[in-house]
Amino acid sequence: MTVQTPNGFILDTSGKRVVVDPVTRIEGHMRCEVNINDQNIITNAVSSGTMWRGLEVILKGRDPRDAWAFVQRICGVCTGTHALTSVRAVEDALNISIPENANSIRNMMQLTLQVHDHLVHFYHLHALDWVNPVNALKADPKATSELQQSVSPSNPRSSPGYFRDVQNRLKKFVDSGQLGPFKNGYWTNPAYKLPPEADLMAVTHYLEALDFQKDIMKIRTIFGGKDPHPNWIVGGVPCAINVDGVGAVGAVNMERLNYVSSIIDASIEFVNQVYIPDLVAVGSFYKDWLYGGGLSGKNVLSYGDIPDNANDYSAKNLMMPRGAIINGNLKEVMEVDLRDPEQVQEFVPHSWYSYPGDQKGLHPWDGVTDPTFVLGPNTVGTRTDIRQLDESGKYSWIKAPRWKGNAMEVGPLARYIVGYAQGNAEITEQVNGLLGTLNVPVDALFSTLGRTAARALECQWAAGKLRYFMDKLMTNLKNGDSSTANTTNWDPSTWPKEAKGVGFTEAPRGALAHWIKIKDMKIENYQCVVPTTWNGSPRDDAGNIGAFEAALMNTKVEVPDEPVEILRTLHSFDPCLACSTHVMSEDGRELTKVRVR
Amino acid sequence: MLESFYDVMRRQGISRRSFLKFCSLTAASLGLGPSFNATIAHAMENKPRIPVLWLHGLECTCCSESFIRSAHPLVKDVILSMLSLDYDDTIMASAGHQAEAIVTEIVEKNKGNYILAVEGNPPLNEDGMFCIIGGKPFVDQLKYAASNAKAIISWGSCASWGCVQAARPNPTRATPVHQVITDKPIIKVPGCPPIAEVMTAVVTYILTFERFPELDRQGRPKMFYSQRIHDKCYRRPHFDAGQYVESWDDEGARKGYCLYKMGCKGPTTYNACSTVRWNNGTSFPIQSGHGCIGCSEEGFWDKGGFYDRLTNINAFGIEANADKIGLTAAAVVGGAAAIHAGVTAVKRARESGDKQS
Amino acid sequence: MARKASVDSAALALAAAHGQEQEAVYIYEAPVRLWHWVNALAILVLAVSGYFIGSPFPTLSGEASSHYLMGYIRFAHFAAGYVLAIGFLFRIYWALAGNHHAHQIFVPPVHSASWWDGVIHEAKWYLFLAREPRKYVGHNPLATLTMHFVFIWVIVFMIFTGFALYGEGEGMDSWQYRLFSSWIIPLFGQSQDVHTWHHLGMWAIVCFSLVHIYAAVREDIVSRQSIISSMISGWRMFKDHRPPDDGH
Repeated sequence: MTVQTPNGFILDTSGKRVVVDPVTRIEGHMRCEVNINDQNIITNAVSSGTMWRGLEVILKGRDPRDAWAFVQRICGVCTGTHALTSVRAVEDALNISIPENANSIRNMMQLTLQVHDHLVHFYHLHALDWVNPVNALKADPKATSELQQSVSPSNPRSSPGYFRDVQNRLKKFVDSGQLGPFKNGYWTNPAYKLPPEADLMAVTHYLEALDFQKDIMKIRTIFGGKDPHPNWIVGGVPCAINVDGVGAVGAVNMERLNYVSSIIDASIEFVNQVYIPDLVAVGSFYKDWLYGGGLSGKNVLSYGDIPDNANDYSAKNLMMPRGAIINGNLKEVMEVDLRDPEQVQEFVPHSWYSYPGDQKGLHPWDGVTDPTFVLGPNTVGTRTDIRQLDESGKYSWIKAPRWKGNAMEVGPLARYIVGYAQGNAEITEQVNGLLGTLNVPVDALFSTLGRTAARALECQWAAGKLRYFMDKLMTNLKNGDSSTANTTNWDPSTWPKEAKGVGFTEAPRGALAHWIKIKDMKIENYQCVVPTTWNGSPRDDAGNIGAFEAALMNTKVEVPDEPVEILRTLHSFDPCLACSTHVMSEDGRELTKVRVR
Repeated sequence: MLESFYDVMRRQGISRRSFLKFCSLTAASLGLGPSFNATIAHAMENKPRIPVLWLHGLECTCCSESFIRSAHPLVKDVILSMLSLDYDDTIMASAGHQAEAIVTEIVEKNKGNYILAVEGNPPLNEDGMFCIIGGKPFVDQLKYAASNAKAIISWGSCASWGCVQAARPNPTRATPVHQVITDKPIIKVPGCPPIAEVMTAVVTYILTFERFPELDRQGRPKMFYSQRIHDKCYRRPHFDAGQYVESWDDEGARKGYCLYKMGCKGPTTYNACSTVRWNNGTSFPIQSGHGCIGCSEEGFWDKGGFYDRLTNINAFGIEANADKIGLTAAAVVGGAAAIHAGVTAVKRARESGDKQS
Repeated sequence: MARKASVDSAALALAAAHGQEQEAVYIYEAPVRLWHWVNALAILVLAVSGYFIGSPFPTLSGEASSHYLMGYIRFAHFAAGYVLAIGFLFRIYWALAGNHHAHQIFVPPVHSASWWDGVIHEAKWYLFLAREPRKYVGHNPLATLTMHFVFIWVIVFMIFTGFALYGEGEGMDSWQYRLFSSWIIPLFGQSQDVHTWHHLGMWAIVCFSLVHIYAAVREDIVSRQSIISSMISGWRMFKDHRPPDDGH
């Protein structure tokens, strides 16, 4: 039986059902089920968020100035991005402006996250979908050295001896029989296409990146005190700056600023010498594997981020592009208004929630989240032992957000497509450069690999922008402005009786916004619509499938029992399930019981 | 051929002589006699890597993120050479039933000889289905994985106390590990997240000495959780002097005065932030101008605002700080006494009037 | 004897002032009186210093090395805390070693129906429902009840929580930590809670003190026996000749 979805996918559930649960190398918990026909092509895809924490009800009645700390704990991987979104939402509601220095420091913290998150994602969450560490044992270290020097001539860590040492260590590890994280991997699967030398180079950089990533986050530790989960404040940043006065050692001073600057340099170098060349090398061996486009060639959404000047969140002041594209019409980038009740709406017909009456889509300011754990009639298994989900019923802890009724893809690729369509000079140059190097057409962007490539390009872009905001901060300090916080409206007695606001960022995984309502100095309602809610959304009332599901469609699987291709495409979104599944009803009333119909 | 600690150290250019010296220093620093030198050296030279199952319940993965930031030892060395991280959904290559098979294999084939590390906690409401692994409640996986474990490490405040999802009203009934698993030794390493180097130090201690470090009454290792942030804070002299940051970015903030009045929870928080510091000693919250929010303490989410010095009491349906409650009570009592005195005086005057008349 | 004579003469003077003859009984021995006033002073210091630990004075400028304001306040608090605690221990000793009045507030006769009847009567007297209070050599039953539950147990609570907090600063190896902090802190959940409840305990004592002082002054004026002067002289003086109601 086949069904065509309004967003153009033909679903066929007749083939073999393959269940992947847990989906690993993601943040949080997720399940994926697909149907595969006799040519091993995926004909139906079902993605399910399998965790739920209820943070929004926990926020109710709390001090809005504390909200950032709670929502920051939505996710420890994209740590801080929810906190930044939260302080922006509170500042929007209470009409608080922040100093220029605070804007520069916040941008640096957010950009640091982009650099770190993308790098860690590529090497430690995604690489094993493309790279076979066991195959690396067969590599010739000398040939690996040559490969390294050809893809990244400026990288000093490229001698044959260097690669031999890594290979020996890897050999010892594999010979021990204790494969640790590589255990039960799919190392004989023909989907792995790299020659041993490229595998060895990538594994070497897996380890190098593991060493290096910890240094990137020191920027956030200097400004935010710790990482993961640095500190923020409503009205600015908590770290006072005292470059040369009495007691400067007690604040951000010249030594601290130099420390940040040196890490920025090292980050730019690592991304340029290691990450980008690896992307090109891996990409060149997989450039024919162009599955996984999904919604990327149709509907993409970006809220934009990184305000150049403080307190201006209009599209022209945002260095990350803002806009929406629907039906693949790159010629028209549409305006996004998060306050418009008709634009962003959430639907729940296939989510474990229900709306009162016959309401369909709800704008987050009026959001209702009433958990209703009901499994569909054709579910296989029991309520606490689900063997197979029934996607005709409710099947996920993730809601289905829609923009003007459309399922959208968000993330680095969405941002790059919007930026490319807008003619953003930096993005166009980067994209055209990469397409030229790999000798592929623009359409190649709309793929799993396109997503992975956009992430790498964005990492490079973000590292460059770190330098920009460091310079901007220094210039401002030079001009005598060392202010970091605006405390005029810190005291709740200065607040209006009721207020509502929205804050947004571009998290590493995509568009993120928080909607807050404040009443009597306390949080009355708090709703987050997060990137993985967009990407991982289940079907909606009209039957549109979400971005994960769309991307898996029509992919050829080499070995049906080994989910290499499924993981590859899901990972290209960098799923973050703790983020997407934390909503809760306003009244927090008792949850309905599980029913298997 | 297994790579042991000794191999790692040799590979990093450390001679055998230095290695033995390291072992004796380790023994001495831990208060062990010279006779332990050989034990430690032998252990580090020959120990096969112990399997570790690292499970994730309701959490945000900040503990894993922190763990990979460890500078000494590098997490690469921990994973490749110190332990065998056979299951960790965040980094493992396999997925689905191939991943689940690993749990079964380790539990069945390594009885009493593997470590269970838990990040996050199980929700118990809705039959545990607020966290589903392989179609089943996470709490089932946790109980199964714990069944044959040698010991359990509760990473972070989620596993140790419950943390943010257990904050009032705890809609999913997220429950800390020690309340679900009661028959295994559990070490708590609280913090949101714990400091990277503290996490790896706990792991290396357990591997080296084949026992837990000394724990306090609540199950935390004394070596990192026996003192408050405040006790070792470099801003402590400003506290004693009576010099505080009064508002953000004021003169005191720019001079690094004490954050006590900004609600710093350093005086009530047991952790090593002010000594070990974060990200290879780069900084810690107070050094970067924000008070401690007490993230390694039980129930730190529910103690009132993070910026209040006097935090709230939540009892008997009242939520207010001690001064508000106290002042109200004192005012009521004082007022009652004044009224009572007035009535007494009137009554006495009337009585004496009665007598006279 | 000279002292006794002066007390007697004071009593006579009082009696003369009231135009009636008074009886006097020696109830508060010197250690109890001394303890009472030292304890009162300690509580005053503890409450004031404790309040300023919770809500410190405005910031002092300059270098940390030239000031020690919070340090002194905390020192005063800890010193007064020790005085209170040691005094309390001594008072417990004296409850055993002293005269039978000395242990009255420690062991209220809660099993005695007549005592409860006294409590009710005294409560009625305070609610202006009884025409006349009863006459007591020791504390009246309502006072005993209040002393026992609002004073003794709150002081015990404050000593225990106070030492638990103090033990944190002294460190895990200290006797204060082992004896108090090690079990009290987990009992409350965490240190912050102990601080909060200790702080609330201060307010309970403030409330007690208000009632205590008011009642003492009032009793002195309107009851059938002396109160405040007794805690200075040790002698309870009576304003009428009828037999006391507490069996003396």
